[in-house]
Amino acid sequence: MEFVNPEGLRLDGRRPMEMRQLRAEIGAVARADGSAVFEMGNTKVIAAVYGPREVQNKSQQSNDQALVRCEYTMANFSTGDRKRKPKGDRRSTEISLVIRQTMEACILTHLMPRSQIDIYVQVLQADGGTRSACINAATLALADAGIPMRDLVTSCSSGYLNSTPLLDLNYLEDSAGGPDVTVGFLPKLDRVTLLQMDAKLPVDIVENVMQLAIEGCKAIATYIREVLLENTKQLEYRRGL
Amino acid sequence: MVGLSLGEKHFIKGGIDQNIRSDGRKRDSYRPIFVETGIIPQANGSARVRMGATEVIASVKAELGRPSALHPDKGKVAIFVDCSAVAEPTFEGRGGEELSAELSVALERCLLGGTSGAGAGIDLTSLIVAEGKICWDLYIDSLVISSDGNLLDALAAAIKAALANTAIPKVNISAAASGDEQPEVDISDEEFLQFDTSAVPVIITLTQVGRHYIVDATSEEESHMSSAVSISVNRKGHICGLTKRGGEGLDPSVVSDMISVAQHLSELLMSRLDSEISAAEAEGGDEEL
Repeated sequence: MEFVNPEGLRLDGRRPMEMRQLRAEIGAVARADGSAVFEMGNTKVIAAVYGPREVQNKSQQSNDQALVRCEYTMANFSTGDRKRKPKGDRRSTEISLVIRQTMEACILTHLMPRSQIDIYVQVLQADGGTRSACINAATLALADAGIPMRDLVTSCSSGYLNSTPLLDLNYLEDSAGGPDVTVGFLPKLDRVTLLQMDAKLPVDIVENVMQLAIEGCKAIATYIREVLLENTKQLEYRRGL
Repeated sequence: MVGLSLGEKHFIKGGIDQNIRSDGRKRDSYRPIFVETGIIPQANGSARVRMGATEVIASVKAELGRPSALHPDKGKVAIFVDCSAVAEPTFEGRGGEELSAELSVALERCLLGGTSGAGAGIDLTSLIVAEGKICWDLYIDSLVISSDGNLLDALAAAIKAALANTAIPKVNISAAASGDEQPEVDISDEEFLQFDTSAVPVIITLTQVGRHYIVDATSEEESHMSSAVSISVNRKGHICGLTKRGGEGLDPSVVSDMISVAQHLSELLMSRLDSEISAAEAEGGDEEL
């Protein structure tokens, strides 16, 4: 099947290095300490952060840093076929772990000992790149909750189909059987914090594809920064400053 | 949920006694209701309803299936509620299962009638394609995103809006079959039938606090209710279902009074919902153009 046609356009009309449309909204869940909705094309996720708060399970409490917990769930209606079991399956457990480790590396946990930070991510619509959208949403939600972080964590995926590196795969491109590289990136510190890949990729192409994902992450970081600035301006305005 | 102090409890209760609640509402006023339909493109119908800070999403998916042997002329509808951890940290893992099950059963009772399908708010015979062989199975999935009390009313409103937004593809039976054979069907991509929701009821939950009852309780108010009765009323003013929650017993005359209050309020809520839903549908239609 042709994923990049001879004119250089993908299945949804994008160019190989073009990301899907981004949209973010802060403060979607009123009861949470911080929350955000993040959309990458048709993938839509909502993240809520509760914390820092008292540790529920005393045996997990740490005296010198905060405990970070994360749960990733997909809504029944998020995928094309109805999912019967929204939580607890292996893929969800793995992605919960991945998001937790990525965010934990970035939060200044030593500033909040003996406390717990819960990150809940719910996928409302899945069209490829849910992992990345969740990390981006979690970053926004953590910022909205005012939790101190080293840097913004952004994430983007890239692949290699029809001998072309492609940025930000959607579901069709992801299920094509080609490689799917997910990168989590700290833009200011210029460090890669998450790197996952499946399928096969020639060694000389790996660097290229990974670099493309990193560029995607940087673009997302710029967007996230804009959204946060706009949100702060709104808050300032509402406070009458 | 942060606990309430004794002073706060007295304040809330005293306010309700004087017909002024903490957010300025009267005992029988609803919070502002926002409805958005068609938010999930891959579902047959979907809606998002916000009542104050309570936010729920409902989606309807239609799949072809076999009708049950007991009711060969009826389609099937299943309602599932999922309480997301995003709404409450206590819903994490299996914490929300009990509440989800309670809400699902209450909704099924109010919208789907008895086990024989009698008195259902949704007309199941309209879902049949080939009697005894093929019918539409509707799966209504709802997700609670933000919880600030009155989940049942919000869920019922979201399901009503999602059903109004539901378009079921037209099915043409291409080859007749005899006996047990499944007929071949051709599912149209172009023609759709809008679901008829005129008989779908709304649910009004009346929460008793002290000696009075309030409608559309916030989670603060719900936290020290003595009991709550959820009544499902349809457009004709008929009662379609009843659920009582909470430990304290209710005098039978109080229950009858609650029912008449609910019937009265249902007219207002129904008309409000209808106008919100048609506004949302119109907006969705405009966007498509």
